Amino acid sequence: MTLAFALALGVVLGALGIVVYTRFEDSLNENTDQALRSRATDIAALVERTGPQLSARRAERFVESDESFAQILDADGMVVDGSRLADSRALLSADEIATARAGSLTLSRDGVIEEGDPARLFAVPVGDLVLVVGQDTEDNEEALGTLRLLLTLGLPIALALGSLAGYAVAAAALRPVEAMRRKAAGVSEDRPGERLPIPPVDDEIRRLGETLNAMLARLEAAIEREQGFVADASHELRTPLAILKTELELALREGRTEAELRAALESASDETDRLSRLADDLLVLARSDRGTLQLRWEPLSVRRLLDGVAERFRTTGDDVEVDVEDGLELSGDRLRLEQALGNLVANAITHGKGAVKLSARNGEDGVELHVEDEGQGMAPEFAERAFERFTRADSARTGGGAGLGLAIVKAVAVAHGGTAKARGADVWMVLRNGR
Amino acid sequence: MRVLVVEDEPKMAGLVKRGLEEECIAVDVADRGEDAVWMAGSTEYDVVVLDVMLPGLDGFEVCRRLRADEVWTPVLMLTARDAVEDRVAGLDGGADDYLVKPFSFEELLARLRALVRRGAAERPAVLEAGDLRLEPATRRVTRGGAEISLSPKEFALLETLMLRPGKVLSRLQLLEHAWDDTYENRSNVVDVYIRYLREKIDRPFGADTIETVRGVGYRLRA
Repeated sequence: MTLAFALALGVVLGALGIVVYTRFEDSLNENTDQALRSRATDIAALVERTGPQLSARRAERFVESDESFAQILDADGMVVDGSRLADSRALLSADEIATARAGSLTLSRDGVIEEGDPARLFAVPVGDLVLVVGQDTEDNEEALGTLRLLLTLGLPIALALGSLAGYAVAAAALRPVEAMRRKAAGVSEDRPGERLPIPPVDDEIRRLGETLNAMLARLEAAIEREQGFVADASHELRTPLAILKTELELALREGRTEAELRAALESASDETDRLSRLADDLLVLARSDRGTLQLRWEPLSVRRLLDGVAERFRTTGDDVEVDVEDGLELSGDRLRLEQALGNLVANAITHGKGAVKLSARNGEDGVELHVEDEGQGMAPEFAERAFERFTRADSARTGGGAGLGLAIVKAVAVAHGGTAKARGADVWMVLRNGR
Repeated sequence: MRVLVVEDEPKMAGLVKRGLEEECIAVDVADRGEDAVWMAGSTEYDVVVLDVMLPGLDGFEVCRRLRADEVWTPVLMLTARDAVEDRVAGLDGGADDYLVKPFSFEELLARLRALVRRGAAERPAVLEAGDLRLEPATRRVTRGGAEISLSPKEFALLETLMLRPGKVLSRLQLLEHAWDDTYENRSNVVDVYIRYLREKIDRPFGADTIETVRGVGYRLRA
């Protein structure tokens, strides 16, 4: 990148140098030519009045110094008169004289006064004669030479310094990027709290850093949620396992009666069921997290679905009503929906009061399946977190559940393209019609 | 032996109680943290079996409160949480042992017996002498709330003195507890470090906690 910059800078500086040089050169030349023309005019006027006598004192005024001169030539190229420095050799060739007589002539020539010194000549016709005025342009050439030297030395140095400066600026600008990159290389799930260093200047790099840090914060939150889930899940699994183990260990001690053994085995069996349900719930949730929860879609009659769930609970003596219009249908996985509704009804029976009502209706977002009881229902603060994993209304375990029931309900609803909500004593799932 | 079992899962509490009673151990059960604190404070149990996940106060808090109330009954923490941070938190909070569920009942019994053998000596997790306070877990030393910064050797020396308040320790004993083998019997290094220590914990506060016992050694004024 520095190379490209250096190249561009080189081109710019080179162009600049050329422009400066040519403009300066043109300007010098123009000055000289202007002076020559002006002098020519004056001398021509003098000659017209007093004749071709340049060496006369009057003419001295117009032919100033060691560097300027004038000459009058006739049509054949003979020197009629000339100033001190140019009174011998003709300054112009025959062709040049002819051109001058036609209009005017401007040219540069070396070696007029001193060997090697450049001079600039201007010739105009005066009557039948040709007046040539000239100027030694050695000074101009010297100035141009100095300029050339300055440019040829100075521009490369400027190029080098500019490139270095450009490189330094770019490096300084990119240093925070490198700092961020180094930090980012070290971020891993072991230290999720780390953030990238933000430069103090408010520019694109800072904004990039802030965006990346926000992303890291989201990832950290996700990791925490997942680790929390794993920690809670492992805790919930160990409790029934511990009960099983202790139950069996005690049963294996000597001197147990058959009745004691039987009781121990029954208790162990219950715990095994509990473990098995828990494992199943956890798998549902884990699969739902990954989006791999498989559903077996079929068209369902909502009335039959709700009736089936209600019947299961009625056989154990609970009061469950169903209220749904005929003909309401939806597409879904029967078993999963029965599981979810069953969780809701069980919750209502355990924590609610009075009769439990299962109802369904067509809402704006899809089919809504409601489960309500006649109790107070959930406090609003709890209702927000109710569908998270392992949350219980109170931290006691008297209900026997692990706090996953509502999480399962939500997972099933989400798998059907919908969601789950709660307000007061009413908990419901919204399922999109069809897939 | 008399044991207090603190566990809110009723089946687990019942099993542990039954198993211990079969070993002729008297068992009381508490299912909430607050109950455990006042029960252990009012009855002299030989061991407290404390589950960590409790409604209300959790096991860590129960243990901290018991120690703050100067109840030095040995505590064995029982829990399904096996992460290292939880074990560290439990032990640093004053528990004497930690068993992860599911556990072997025989192991539980063996550990209870070992704890009872050790006895209920006063052994706070945080050492205090007047307003001087030393926390081994965090390596913090404060006097009246003001932080004091000690080098590792100074800390080790102070900890040795504070673990035996009121007891005279000879230079050799101090050397043995706060230094490793490389120092042999260069006992003047103890004098040097006692001086450093006094410069940091006594002089700036006008206190005189480290006492020189001529001809014998040093002692922490209790």
